[in-house]
Amino acid sequence: MLGSIDIVGLLVLLLFLGLLLGFAAVGRNWPTVFRPVPGFEELGTAIERAVEAGERVHLSLGTGSVIGSDSAPALAGLAMLSRVASVTTMSDKPVVVTAGDGAMTMLAQETLRSAYQQAKVGERYRRTSGRMLGPTPLSYVASLPILIANEDVSVHILAGSFGAEGALAADFGERQHAFVIAGTDDAQSQALLYATAEYPMIGEEIFAGGAYLNVGPLHRASLRAQDAVRMLIVVLILTGTVLRALGVIL
Amino acid sequence: MWAAAAVGSGIFVLLGYFIDYEIILTLRLILMRWSVLLAAVALFLGLFNLLTVHWSKVSEQEKGWPFSALLILVFLVTLIMGLVFGPDNQISLLLFNYIQLPIEASLMALLAVFLAVAGFRLVSRRRDPFSLIFVVVALFVLLGTGPSLGASDSDAYILLRQLRNWIAQVWASGGARGILLGVALGAGLTGLRVLLAVDRPYGD
Repeated sequence: MLGSIDIVGLLVLLLFLGLLLGFAAVGRNWPTVFRPVPGFEELGTAIERAVEAGERVHLSLGTGSVIGSDSAPALAGLAMLSRVASVTTMSDKPVVVTAGDGAMTMLAQETLRSAYQQAKVGERYRRTSGRMLGPTPLSYVASLPILIANEDVSVHILAGSFGAEGALAADFGERQHAFVIAGTDDAQSQALLYATAEYPMIGEEIFAGGAYLNVGPLHRASLRAQDAVRMLIVVLILTGTVLRALGVIL
Repeated sequence: MWAAAAVGSGIFVLLGYFIDYEIILTLRLILMRWSVLLAAVALFLGLFNLLTVHWSKVSEQEKGWPFSALLILVFLVTLIMGLVFGPDNQISLLLFNYIQLPIEASLMALLAVFLAVAGFRLVSRRRDPFSLIFVVVALFVLLGTGPSLGASDSDAYILLRQLRNWIAQVWASGGARGILLGVALGAGLTGLRVLLAVDRPYGD
């Protein structure tokens, strides 16, 4: 039986898709210019320093689940992980990834395995590099200080869904004098991370991680598509405000 | 093959939100039920992973291995208690109410202390106008939200409350909406990348 079709929703989806593929097509002839984000600028150096010093990089995917609406920042974190893992494959202490959800842990393990295989060092991959620390937000965060201290973590990346426990997660890294870069999707948690993390990712910066870390051309294209739709929304909001102020629309 | 399965499932679930067509809706419902089941199985695998990680720490006598041994012991005791006597028996409830709950509550209480310290550290570490504005606004909101230090009907306290409301309802709400719009755009495009198999967290 044929029912109704949400035309507006489909059009928005097609707009996103068109912009993403369009910007990917013109990407080679039109290089992306990035706004300076101090956290991403310093991250590469911090990882290099950790690899040389035989210290560990830790990436946290947060406490969100795969099937919930809070999975998006963790998926962005996994994109960052693929790049971070390939840089640290030859280190004595390769990157360790943690999550508060079983399914997210499995995705982290698969992302790590792919990164090792692409770097042609598949035999160095250890399944225990992807870990579930605890099934509840606070049991997850309670396990972090021991991990950071015992595993000699000097780069602590928080890229996933966090509530208030994210502030504790960032602070545990700061107390160990690690390089801490942290981002999430929740506005209130971002305010907490701004206070506790050395390099907070504000707004949608967490979703730009893949583009800044040079994961691939479609990551840069998606950043451009994001900016284009954002400008469209800004124009629509301003137009609506002016029309309302003039009494054209009620 | 995995990419094809993931893309196909993703497209059907996504189309189910836009197209009210019986076959698509039924398929979407089945896929979403499967995903819930798989997430439950993944939780067990996650717990097995937790046990494996700590078992390897104990067997290789890594730094902090006694903590890992303790975790394995408590993990198994709690699991056996739950399986044998059920999750709502006295001992399981005792473990939850008198060990897990107080520890989690203490961590939340610690958060207030951590944030106060982080506020001071922020000003000393990041000496820029934004950090100063952040701390000053936080102080204003804190003073305007809590009980009055003097008379609750004093002009100063009423002004402080009004200032707090103005900051929270105008500036903070406006900023938060901008952030949420950006987050929604970022989340949408991240999902689209997974849907197009550009990002393959499920492996190649």
